[in-house]
Amino acid sequence: MNAVGTVYRREVRSYFSTPIAYVFIPIQLAILSFFFFQFSPFFAAERAEMREFFALMPLMLFIFAPAITMRLWSEELRLGTSEILLTLPMRLREVVFAKFLAAFTVLCVSLVLTGGIPLTLAWLGNPDWGPVIGGYVGTVLAGAMFISLGCWVSALSENQVVSLLIGVAAGMVLVVVCSPGFATYLSGSSPNLARIVEDIGVISHFSSVERGVIALGDVVYFLSGTVLFLAMTITTIQAKRY
Amino acid sequence: MVTNVTMPSAAGDQSGEAPLVKATDLHRSYGATVAVDGVSFELRRGEILGFLGPNGAGKSTTLKILTGTIAADSGSALISGINIEESPLEARKRFGYLPESLPFYWEMSVGDYLRFIGKARGLGGDHLRRRVDEVIDLLGLGRMRWRTTGALSKGFRQRVGLAQALIHDPEILILDEPTNGLDPQQIIEVRALIQNLANTRAIIFSTHILQEIAEICTRIMVIHSGKLVADAKPGELSGETSDGWEVVISGADISGTDWRRLSLEKAGSIRGGEHLLTYRGSGTPDITAIEAAARETSATLLEVRRPRKTLESAYLELTGMAAKGRGGGR
Repeated sequence: MNAVGTVYRREVRSYFSTPIAYVFIPIQLAILSFFFFQFSPFFAAERAEMREFFALMPLMLFIFAPAITMRLWSEELRLGTSEILLTLPMRLREVVFAKFLAAFTVLCVSLVLTGGIPLTLAWLGNPDWGPVIGGYVGTVLAGAMFISLGCWVSALSENQVVSLLIGVAAGMVLVVVCSPGFATYLSGSSPNLARIVEDIGVISHFSSVERGVIALGDVVYFLSGTVLFLAMTITTIQAKRY
Repeated sequence: MVTNVTMPSAAGDQSGEAPLVKATDLHRSYGATVAVDGVSFELRRGEILGFLGPNGAGKSTTLKILTGTIAADSGSALISGINIEESPLEARKRFGYLPESLPFYWEMSVGDYLRFIGKARGLGGDHLRRRVDEVIDLLGLGRMRWRTTGALSKGFRQRVGLAQALIHDPEILILDEPTNGLDPQQIIEVRALIQNLANTRAIIFSTHILQEIAEICTRIMVIHSGKLVADAKPGELSGETSDGWEVVISGADISGTDWRRLSLEKAGSIRGGEHLLTYRGSGTPDITAIEAAARETSATLLEVRRPRKTLESAYLELTGMAAKGRGGGR
């Protein structure tokens, strides 16, 4: 695990010594706060709950996760730093995991900084903390999957912008295309396909998270998605040797 | 087609120690392009192997196979007797590698970068601190320690690249064009460094600077179109050849003499008033007759000698570029 720690520390320092984290985190916070307080029925409903906030999360994640991860491998491949990195005596899976963990840390830091919103709730009313904590746990799980997806996409291209765009497109497939709405539309013609589409999609697994409920099936979905994309990252980088 | 003049391996070390690098019949293609085609060689402690070839000849690909950066289609590469494909982690501990493009994390300082590489190579605590100080000292990076690698000049970046390759004190150094982009002073320093390091190590470095090879290498390998076309000591490739004779005549105008009668053919002038003739006959040239013929036009026989081959001409001949001149590689 020494290798994971070494690479992880380097990556986290890199995030916080370049503008990425400082640009990404405030923008994410600003957008989330703006939409939550301005466009959601939060003030109209006069209920101290964050359901509308967590409902924004899938959209937030599929745009911002690739923004965090786009440099992870693309930059290594473009600069050629991967040529030294991959000849160091470390296992590829350790390096991949360490990089994933670093990007995941940035995401978690940005989530911690949204803590102002629940604190506002506590100041305005008396929120039920169970759903709030459940919502955060669910968001962290979904975030792991999106970060992992971003890692893989970043390993596909030497161009960070391309990585970002493919990452957003892939996230869009998971969130927008494979949505319950589209599944309903499909169910008329092919009910089986509709079920698969709904199962693959993020929204159907996130809907209970919005209510603060963590179902085992959803946990399995997000964790297996995370592992799958990490494995694909390893395969993609290994394939470059051939 | 190039004539293969591959010479017997010049591996000078007879100590009986196993080779530190052993490449056997390496092949590698990129699509339809064959990059490395049956490369085999051994490298022992104390040797400095200059790896020479035109751009695109397969130098970098061979080095990348040795370091495990890319996989060979067939053949095997042993690093200190360890197969790079079978036990990559163990094999990677044994060498230091300087890639051709100097890849750094631009935002890191020189010291932090070297610490990172050292840690990733399993060094820690006092040992790591000492090694970072030692390589910084060895490569004269003291003043640059706190600079970010992105702000360094090419010469310093090259030194940082060498420093990271040396951080774990490896017994094998694989250097892809280590003097690329350095100024003459730095080139001399890096060459001296390589020579110093070679005592206890095996070093392979690629270059296209011929002079470099002649000065510091104990052995030269020339690769062309993916094949090794020579593996020899520097002196074996250049210097006097053992067949044929050349005659040097001094005189203002020697065209009045029928040199062909003596099996001599004009090959050009060396400098003002000195002419080079090639002996085309069998056996040794008749010096008395040549002297007499020279006197006919008030010229003087200066020298009868074996033709000399420079490293440049040997290289051009080996890589099939003699006729085309230096017009580039593949």
